[in-house]
Amino acid sequence: MKKKALSLFLCSAMTVSMLTGCGGSGDGGAAEAPAADTAQDTEAPAAAEEEPAEAEAPAASTDGEEVTLTVLAGQSTTDAGIEDMIDAALAEKYPNITLEWECTGWDGEFHPKMQQYMQSGLPDIIIGKAQDVNTYASQGLLGEIDAAYLDRGLDAARENVTFDGKTYGLVYNALYQGVYYNKTMFAENGWEVPTTQEELQAIIDDCNAKGIVPFASHMVDTWSIGNVTMQFMMNDVFNNTPDWGDQFREGKVSFAEDQAAQTAYSYNKLIFDNTYPETFSTEQTDCDARMVLGEAAMKVSGSWSIQNFLDIDESFDFGIFPFPNQTGDSKLIFEPNIAIMTSAETEHQDAVNCVLDVLSGDKELAVEIVDFTKTASMLKDVTPTYTNPSQADIDAYAAKGMIVDVTLGNNQLVWGGFQEENAADIAAYLQGDISFEDCLAASDARVGSSSAQ
Amino acid sequence: MNKKKTMQDKMNRQYLLLIVPGMVIFTIGVILPLLLALRYSFTSWDGMTVEKDFVGISNYINLWKDANFRQAWWFTIKFTIANTIVQNVFALLFAVALDSGIKAQKIYRTILFIPCLVSAVIVGFVWLKLYSNVLPELNEIFGTNINFLLFGDGKTVLRGLVIANNWQWIGYWMLIYLAGLQSVPSDLYEAAKVDGANAVQRFFNVTIPMLAPAITICVVGITTGSLKVYDLLVSSTGGGPGRASTSVIQMIYATAISGRQYGYGSAMSVTLVVILLMVAMIQVKGLKSKEVQS
Repeated sequence: MKKKALSLFLCSAMTVSMLTGCGGSGDGGAAEAPAADTAQDTEAPAAAEEEPAEAEAPAASTDGEEVTLTVLAGQSTTDAGIEDMIDAALAEKYPNITLEWECTGWDGEFHPKMQQYMQSGLPDIIIGKAQDVNTYASQGLLGEIDAAYLDRGLDAARENVTFDGKTYGLVYNALYQGVYYNKTMFAENGWEVPTTQEELQAIIDDCNAKGIVPFASHMVDTWSIGNVTMQFMMNDVFNNTPDWGDQFREGKVSFAEDQAAQTAYSYNKLIFDNTYPETFSTEQTDCDARMVLGEAAMKVSGSWSIQNFLDIDESFDFGIFPFPNQTGDSKLIFEPNIAIMTSAETEHQDAVNCVLDVLSGDKELAVEIVDFTKTASMLKDVTPTYTNPSQADIDAYAAKGMIVDVTLGNNQLVWGGFQEENAADIAAYLQGDISFEDCLAASDARVGSSSAQ
Repeated sequence: MNKKKTMQDKMNRQYLLLIVPGMVIFTIGVILPLLLALRYSFTSWDGMTVEKDFVGISNYINLWKDANFRQAWWFTIKFTIANTIVQNVFALLFAVALDSGIKAQKIYRTILFIPCLVSAVIVGFVWLKLYSNVLPELNEIFGTNINFLLFGDGKTVLRGLVIANNWQWIGYWMLIYLAGLQSVPSDLYEAAKVDGANAVQRFFNVTIPMLAPAITICVVGITTGSLKVYDLLVSSTGGGPGRASTSVIQMIYATAISGRQYGYGSAMSVTLVVILLMVAMIQVKGLKSKEVQS
């Protein structure tokens, strides 16, 4: 009898502990968290009234009710830390709202997390990239963003986060991509910014003759190969055939047959042949440091490198130009980066709107974030205060209309399952493991994974 | 007789009751997902949509044609074989050395064991930095020309990963062997000595047979662990350069999760589970038959 009682007790204890463990996540924890930060919730309406938004914001949960919103943030390497800035700004204006953050790397963990949440319910707010809107809005998962908040952003930011006529993303900042170059080195060697492949080759040849490494690169990061390949594709393929990805799925074009696509892939070989021999062992930080230290003349990259450049040497003088294409009409790549999306099923729409209000209306916060991430703001009247040596080049290309939004390519040929897998094949080709033809054939065979829909 | 039977029934019921919580957790956490994966493997589900179209065994047929999947298996097999041999041999040698009564045994044991307390993700980062930055500096200092950039070349990446993995786990398996060695009765060695056996003969004729249970544990543990390698690769090589160090688990993750091909990825995982079970069963059966009782 004693044994029976003991076994029953043990079973009960295990069951109870298991159930307790299961119930310990989500709401329970969330409900406790905000208590400390929301003591001044009665002040929130006043704060909102004192500082009215430029556009009329919908009534939000400023009635004192404490709300905790869940946020999934798929971050670029430059973004880690902005969550604290947003928390601080939100606490000032809407102290009754607390954000429960789950920050992951966009390249890797973000999409698996989204798929996990698609089974159990999306977080109230999702922060990803503009190209994610197409993926998830088409599944009916995202809520439409109110025009009151969208109107605070630049019009150019809307097009690629609009699906079936409705806008599901608030684009917050943007990156520029192209070839960063060491201005001092260019001046000392009498190099002009190249606009054609021939001019670029002349600089490469001169670099090699003088013992200078032409390109800094970090091919240990497969994503960097995928990133630059899309830059090449934008200028050599999408520039001439804007619906190339759709045609690819319809079987009208292919990597094996399209000369322009092959050229775009082959630029990787040009970089590989003219970079550090140990590029497959070189990480981004080391790569950027070597660029700043004058060990390389150029780097095909994006704004995320600026953070490293300026952290290593704030006086480093650099510019940016688009990687020259075959026709000499390359454009600088523009990529909407942080895009704020909301769940279609959120139970706290008013509170979500309050967060959108802060994100789109708090210009101090916007400046703080773009200064930190070294990016460009996509909100009206927000100008970064950090010194970006490449800004003059960006402005010049913008003035000439020589900027193209990479979301066009990213929406047609998605990153996860396609671009990143192609990048692995390109790396295998550069390593000599597979032929160029095999590399192209592998991309063609992956056509089924090229679209999010 | 009846009383004895009733007593046995009661005992059985109690045993059953005790294993219920574990069984429930195991069923929810392992059996059900396994069955679901099996089901999905016959569909073209992308992991996002509601529709899970039945495609029969076409996913399994496609696996045979998938060069990347074959390459991932080939890497995983090479990694597993290398680890199983190197880890067992070195763990056993270290255990024998520490069991021989050398001074400062506890210090050596602690030093060898510490790496296995570190997360494999951290180990990956540490060795990436070691190979890329720290060790090449030695060339500068000593004027040598040793290639330390093992992760940067498809031809050397396996070597680099085996070194990193063994650095982490040898100490762990060494403890298992050490425990086994310490349980070998000393009179067996004395009897062997009396019979004129030298140290090498005693090792192969007494130590190894008596360690057979520990060898079974270590071989099965290292093999299945190596077949499932993931975290070390993610933080060190990312499966590269190219696809040179992509393991099966990594490929499953990339296909099912990043590539939104749950059905196809599930078929990959089903094959992995079947092979894991087969390998473990063959090893256990083969090694158990060689075990002796003291």
